[in-house]
Amino acid sequence: MNEDLARIALRTAQKLGASYVDARYVNIESENLHVKKGVAEEIRNRNLAGIGVRAIAKGAWGFAGTTVLKRASIVDIAKKAYKVACASARAKRADVKLSPTPAKKAKYSTPIRKDPFKISLNEKLDTLKTAERIAAAESKELIKTSSSFFRAHRERKLFLSSEGAEIDQKIVWCGGGVSATAIKNGDVQVRSYPASFRGNFNTAGYEFLESLDLAGHASETAREAIQLLSADKCPSTTTTLLIDGDQLALQVHESCGHPTELDRALGTEADYAGTSFLTTDKLGSFRYGSPKVSISADATTPGGLGTFGYDDEGVPAKNVPLIKEGVFVNYQSSRETAALLNLPEGSSGGMRADSPLAMPIVRMTNINLLPGDWKVEELIRDTQEGILMSTNKSWSIDDRRLNFQFGTEAAWLIKNGSKERMIKQATYTGITHQFWGSCDAASNDDWHMHGTPTCGKGVPGQVMYVGHGVSTARFRNVRVGIA
Amino acid sequence: MSEIARKATSIAVKKGADQAEATAFTFVEDLTRFANSQIHQNVATYKNGLRVRAVLKKKIGDIMVGALDPSSVEKAVNDAIKVAKVSPQNELFKSLPEPKKYSVLKGTYDRKTATCNPNLRADNAKRAIQIAHDKANFVKAVAGSYMTGSAAFAVANSLGTDAGAQISLAQMAVTVISEKDGSEGHGYYSAYARNMKEINVDDIAVKAADKSIRSVQPTRLEPGEYEAILAPDAVALSLSYLSNGFLATWFQDGTSFVKYNLGKQVFHEKFGLKDDGRDLATLYVSPVDGEGVPKQALTLVKDGVVDEKGICYDSYTAGKEGKKSTGHAVAPVIETFASGPDLTNMIMSPGDASEEEMVRETSRGVYVSRFHYVRTVNQPRMILTGLTRDGTFLIENGEITKPVRNLRFTDSFLDVYKGIQLIGRDQERQAFATVPQLKVGKLRFTGVSEQ
Repeated sequence: MNEDLARIALRTAQKLGASYVDARYVNIESENLHVKKGVAEEIRNRNLAGIGVRAIAKGAWGFAGTTVLKRASIVDIAKKAYKVACASARAKRADVKLSPTPAKKAKYSTPIRKDPFKISLNEKLDTLKTAERIAAAESKELIKTSSSFFRAHRERKLFLSSEGAEIDQKIVWCGGGVSATAIKNGDVQVRSYPASFRGNFNTAGYEFLESLDLAGHASETAREAIQLLSADKCPSTTTTLLIDGDQLALQVHESCGHPTELDRALGTEADYAGTSFLTTDKLGSFRYGSPKVSISADATTPGGLGTFGYDDEGVPAKNVPLIKEGVFVNYQSSRETAALLNLPEGSSGGMRADSPLAMPIVRMTNINLLPGDWKVEELIRDTQEGILMSTNKSWSIDDRRLNFQFGTEAAWLIKNGSKERMIKQATYTGITHQFWGSCDAASNDDWHMHGTPTCGKGVPGQVMYVGHGVSTARFRNVRVGIA
Repeated sequence: MSEIARKATSIAVKKGADQAEATAFTFVEDLTRFANSQIHQNVATYKNGLRVRAVLKKKIGDIMVGALDPSSVEKAVNDAIKVAKVSPQNELFKSLPEPKKYSVLKGTYDRKTATCNPNLRADNAKRAIQIAHDKANFVKAVAGSYMTGSAAFAVANSLGTDAGAQISLAQMAVTVISEKDGSEGHGYYSAYARNMKEINVDDIAVKAADKSIRSVQPTRLEPGEYEAILAPDAVALSLSYLSNGFLATWFQDGTSFVKYNLGKQVFHEKFGLKDDGRDLATLYVSPVDGEGVPKQALTLVKDGVVDEKGICYDSYTAGKEGKKSTGHAVAPVIETFASGPDLTNMIMSPGDASEEEMVRETSRGVYVSRFHYVRTVNQPRMILTGLTRDGTFLIENGEITKPVRNLRFTDSFLDVYKGIQLIGRDQERQAFATVPQLKVGKLRFTGVSEQ
């Protein structure tokens, strides 16, 4: 039935004269659970379904979407998409052109073993409660808040285009985490496992949450929060910095993921998130990092939060190198932006919308820092003096993605090849290409997928789920201890 | 919508809920976005939905669906009850809010704004682009958006609450990029209103273009402590982070700076801040919150002093402390990832200074048009980091002398706002706060961005 509605939308806009139309039926279901101080404070289920129609008319884009899934309202939004496109044409400089992509008839489903929506609420809450209670038990006096989280997302997407594409996808992801907040004399210290801001997420079934073993890590998480209370503050200095995967994932996200988005580089996000220092004249020649740095946009990585079959323009999932041995070699692009640059390989396949009511924009898939040759322990042993930082706490970067500053939940001083002691309020700052230029080593034994389910971009604002495969890496001469 | 909310509530009670609440909502967002001096995205969206909370012996089912047709309403109610039945008891939950009388706010909805034609938005975009380009031949590109639409919700609960609100919205933002000898200068200006008649396209375009033209060829300013003049946009963004300290969720978790400074003068004595959802000077006005509780005007900061009376609550967080909600529950129409109360109608008291006076009173300082990507580094100390953007200038001996590259700041905003020297006499409406311009004695800049 929803396929029929999508077809009606295509036919209606085409009849009016649209030169290209696509229609997306999307149904998103989500479940959010939060256990705090022994109480299941949040049990939220959300369900949104709708159709979005994108049309090119008179050489310009128009988009309309609705949650009312009735024939009359679908005809109405198809007409609206056409009308809005005509309005866009009143202020256009050039006609929209799309790079070619084969019109596929295909299906894709996230491979899962246990459907997270079929696991009983009791089982999920028991898992969360057990982990949360273990964290709380570390110290009744000092652990003031302990929490555990679970989130599951199921998305059915049906994409039809006037070029003949018919793609049916079912994306499932889930995950969670545990955190402990220790407070003493106004000093607030938080530790989280496996990541801050509600945990880690993968395109996978409930087996992913089970693999995290929240209960098995809750005690150490809370203990470290308590240890931070008596730790010294991160010194203000320039030193060798080791960053673990949980923090490095966000570093890759902010300083490589966003600046390699071609829409940013071409100026179409200038009014909100900003532009990019990776201007088109730098493509293929700019030294972004050291030869140790290779980064790809890979929508095919198993488990990655940005893994899917096809993007929201019907382009198949691709693995596109962005940085090859330190050199900037490619952008993340759409059919339109790829055509503007005449990219021979066409779109990188990263166009996604966060709901049926949003127009797709260039989004990260899985932006992966390829693993290095080291084991984490070897990296530490090889470092005479430095700091190891872990788990993101704060993040900020300028509108061209150059000047960044990150803070982490925890850090350790490294002296003579071993972790000496824990320090708190750790921050580091730098300029993107100088920072990546100082990377001299990365590990391979802790490389895994980190999920970022809350990447904001666009106007109107959209929130997308993206992934990052990273391990621990080492950087020389980094300024730390700013706050 | 009121009827749908009442019906859903009554179905839930008939099906066994001890208490039930239903909120029906609609959100219309039509937005024309431009960049590189042409329209590149143009959307028209209609979203509706229903949130149902069913309570059975303190067990709560919380369901939201994106539909308002009778079968979806019934299914949402059934699902909420189903979830409640299998949920554990939440002993911290006291009750859904009791009904309270409130007076309706008039003049918050303009039909023409809510149903604006896309051609009008496109023509306004075109006009802003033309005006900016006419200002100088080195204006390179104009970007921005023009949005019109409306938001409405109706909430009913089994205790008799039957309330709602409706507003229309019009917003325009313009970014102008100029370039001289390969060096870019950016300028930005925006306006937020409930009636598109209040959106002065010419004024927005001129202000953004002027700043952009003056920003080209910036020089590098060494990081350090400087006096600073913060334009309203920068003040509002910093307040949106400071305001977290007044949320019951932060206060109860012990992460709020207010908790550690009760009764203390943490800000300058001239610093006054309130939140008032009924004050038409703010944008997202509503007589009631997302639970139908009348919005209470809260004094957050008085004479620079913070205390417990400034903490905002929804019914759940209030119940934990045996208090009543202050009317700050978020309506499902703007539900975000985080749950709990929020401040959306802040107003900072004006002073008596003009911008000229602020500049005149600055011996060596930085003029900040906007902050960008602000984040909290330390919650109890309210240490924030972020960057300047879209027009940063050096002030020397009482005069703006030259544009400087964007700077990173890292500082405690308890200290920054303790050091307020002058407060602007004019307030400007931003999205979640209506604020004046400020001059502060010290802002710590910790880095410089590259050109």
